Amino acid sequence: MGLSRYVLGRVAWAGIVSLVIVTATFLLLSFAPNPNIQEAATQAALEGNDPAEAVERERELRGLDEPLYVRYVDFLNGVYTFDWGWSNSRAQPVTEALLESLYYTAQYSVPWTILTVLLGPLVGIYSAANMYNWRDHAATGFSFAGYAMPNFFFAIVISLVFAVWLDLIPVTYKTGVDVFSLQNLRQLAAPIFVLVTGSIAGTMRVARNESAEYINSDFMKTAKAKGVSPLRAYLYHVTRPTMVPLSTTLVGQLLALFLGASLLIEVIFGIPGIGKTTFDAIIAQDTNLVLGATLVFTFIAVVGNLLEDLVFTILDPRISFDDR
Amino acid sequence: MSRDIDRTNGPANALSRRQWLAMLGVGSATALAGCLGGDGDDEGNGGENGGTNGGENGGENGGTNGGENGGTNGGENGGENGQSQFPAVSGRYRTNSSASFETLNPVYNTESGAGTAIGRALDQGYTFTPDNEVFPLLYDLSTDSGEVWVFDVREDLQFSDPYGQVTAQDFVYYIQEIHKGPFNSANSSEWGEDINVVQNSEFEFQAELPNPQLLWPETFAPLEYPVPQGLLEPYVQEEDDEGLQQDSELLELQFTGNLGPFSLDEWNRGAGTSYSRNDDYYIQNLDYGPDLFAEAPYFEGADIEVVTSQTSRLNQLSTGEVDASAIPAPRFQEFQDNPNVSVRQIPQPFNSLTALNMRDNGWTGGPGNLFRYKEFRQAMAIAVNKTELINGVLRGLGAPHFTWQPRFSAFYPPEDRIEEFKFGVEPLVGPEMARQRAREALDRSEFDYRFDGDTLVRPDGNTINLTHYHSAGQETERLTCEFVAQEMDEAFGINVNVEAIDGTQYSQNYWSASPQGGTDTVRGEEVTWENPAPTNPGPRSVTSDNAWDMSNVFGLNTFPRNPLTNSAFFDGVTSFYNPVGYYPEDFDPASLFQQAREATSREAFNQAMYDLFANIAREQPYLMLYFQDDLTGYNPNLVGPIEDFANGWNFPAWYFDE
Repeated sequence: MGLSRYVLGRVAWAGIVSLVIVTATFLLLSFAPNPNIQEAATQAALEGNDPAEAVERERELRGLDEPLYVRYVDFLNGVYTFDWGWSNSRAQPVTEALLESLYYTAQYSVPWTILTVLLGPLVGIYSAANMYNWRDHAATGFSFAGYAMPNFFFAIVISLVFAVWLDLIPVTYKTGVDVFSLQNLRQLAAPIFVLVTGSIAGTMRVARNESAEYINSDFMKTAKAKGVSPLRAYLYHVTRPTMVPLSTTLVGQLLALFLGASLLIEVIFGIPGIGKTTFDAIIAQDTNLVLGATLVFTFIAVVGNLLEDLVFTILDPRISFDDR
Repeated sequence: MSRDIDRTNGPANALSRRQWLAMLGVGSATALAGCLGGDGDDEGNGGENGGTNGGENGGENGGTNGGENGGTNGGENGGENGQSQFPAVSGRYRTNSSASFETLNPVYNTESGAGTAIGRALDQGYTFTPDNEVFPLLYDLSTDSGEVWVFDVREDLQFSDPYGQVTAQDFVYYIQEIHKGPFNSANSSEWGEDINVVQNSEFEFQAELPNPQLLWPETFAPLEYPVPQGLLEPYVQEEDDEGLQQDSELLELQFTGNLGPFSLDEWNRGAGTSYSRNDDYYIQNLDYGPDLFAEAPYFEGADIEVVTSQTSRLNQLSTGEVDASAIPAPRFQEFQDNPNVSVRQIPQPFNSLTALNMRDNGWTGGPGNLFRYKEFRQAMAIAVNKTELINGVLRGLGAPHFTWQPRFSAFYPPEDRIEEFKFGVEPLVGPEMARQRAREALDRSEFDYRFDGDTLVRPDGNTINLTHYHSAGQETERLTCEFVAQEMDEAFGINVNVEAIDGTQYSQNYWSASPQGGTDTVRGEEVTWENPAPTNPGPRSVTSDNAWDMSNVFGLNTFPRNPLTNSAFFDGVTSFYNPVGYYPEDFDPASLFQQAREATSREAFNQAMYDLFANIAREQPYLMLYFQDDLTGYNPNLVGPIEDFANGWNFPAWYFDE
């Protein structure tokens, strides 16, 4: 099986997975009580009108009196044409709300992801190369301190020290600042630092253990004997095989962090990103926006898994497409 | 089941969602998705809501500023050296808010926070001064008997292009076609079919009410935003409610012309709003009011930042990143000692109370229901030492609550009328006196409750166990409940178990019930519940799904500007809002409300209200505890904020003294 055929297969599978999730979401939404209808009933009761009549009218207005399959087809049509409806909690189209939020999330999540992917394995390999001496302990201690401290707490401490006491950074994120500017770097430094320190520990430990296996391997001894520089030896002969098992942990771990950690960080630093938008939408029972955010996260997860599979085959040519 | 409402009975029976939300206060945030903010520490707009924002919420709940600028200090900077007598326009006025805005469309907004954001760019018809006088902005209101109200619209008001001048026709069209039409607008139910609106001239129209209402402006019903007829027409013709909600000109406030102190530059949905100064603000032409209005506003721009984390909001205040922010009571002292912050303690009308369930599923501690006897409720009120409660739980930042009005209200009864009902403060406080009063209630009970030493015991001799609910996560309420429980134990030996509960769950399964109606005998007369509501589903035999005894989940608005609105709570046993099943014992509140409605003079109106509130203080329909102050921190260079409920009424005159 060639690479292109494999990729096509994986993409098709991703499409099926997303359809299943979209269908499940539709069914859940169909059977859940609609807050707009409840509100219409309450409003009618408060005004002394008939709530049952108001409910019927609201159902009709929202097309909920149509048969389920008709609504399902409309729903699918909307999802795949990016007509994701109107967000009642933000008074704007759902797609616009999500794009706006992703724009701010990306500003810290991209550098965070890059730094985690770079620093985690590097610190791990550095630890392995200096195993059991003070450098190893220092690197491990640093990673675990970041991991052990809850992000929201660490964020508050950082904010207190650097924003309130030292006045080096602003307390909250300002949206009017240019993306590629020193001012933006200054205001994003704290959230990125907190996130990176919180996320490199796992990667670092896996990298340390995996690379320890290769540091004393025969091919490393050969390389050293042939006079290969330590940097080249570690980069080519240790890092590469280490990254194969690591790539599986990285994607899953980062996706989980994307959802969980980013919300808390966005709340503390006032970043209007996707985590906060989704959380607010859930609290406000903004079903369209919750659904849209679910689709975005589904898309990220599906694409993330796809990339992970592809990265596998590129990093380790021994893994064949036929086996998968 | 159809529930026809007799609208001639005034506002008690028909409520808009806005009014309904405005009634619920302190503890209602969790139940109502934060519509009115939380524990007194969550309304972070700096509180300068007083006059120019959203109706009932904006006015009643609003906030922070002041009369100290009012017409008296316009010349304080002097003109002797040829300098302007007005402060220089400088800086940006920056505040923060705990929640983002659902909409800035003035036709649909019902939230206080968004009302502030709209108010930066768009004034409403009028506001209230610290003396509780109506201060005309866009129009002046006048009446002879309270039945016909004439609106005089200013002639210098302009919408943005292409909508031209604001005329009476714009208001009449808005009221007729939007409020009275098929649109789900913010205060549609306040303009009922029976209110006739007529345009008299280009700049004058009138509203003819079915009954005289001397305090009609105080109900906020005639408080309107100006919205161009030309903008509304296409939606009205199509009956397009959804389209009107989503109209970008309304959402982005692009039609506001010279109608507000600032123009909205950007609304970033997750981050907040930013504005720039409106050089042509019409208020500069006012020939009354503060002199400072002549050059207003005095800021180059304004910003409202949405910051969810309270810690971050307070950090912003400490570092000067914002000029105003709400402060929670536990940190008030810290900011009071901070030279970079100037704090204000602002009285507000939302009360804190312990609700006592007088329905059949209340008083689960034994047979009968002792809560139904006013002497027992008085005994409980005497048992709770309000001074200690306020000092201990609120750190002294509040005022004791005796009757359904805060002390600053013009309708608070004269001291001699209320003196003997000021329960919970010296001299009417203490466990011994409480037991003495409770004995009077026991004499009335058909069951053999008695004191065994200092402990009140059931007819079977066992101690009494009750449950007291508070909203989960609301620390002030939890501490209040704990304190009340402790006092009940000390005075009566009643074991009160304090439990946290989710606000929504409480609202649905405990506080409200399925309306059933029915009849009951009250003070010898048969009363029928003809229009039962979830918050008053019927007589005491009609109960919620779950039994409960006491709760401190909802605080309620006491409506000090227009106390008639309190008829929703107390207009007889069938009033719209009576979840606790309170039956007045020795007075008829409905007739007092009627007297007030029919009053032709302010004095007669006040007398009826004094009678009402003196009786409420005596009967203690709820265990009224305290009014917690709103606490706001300001930039110390900011001139304007005052410690008054009307704070913010003259916001355009605020400035930085630098």
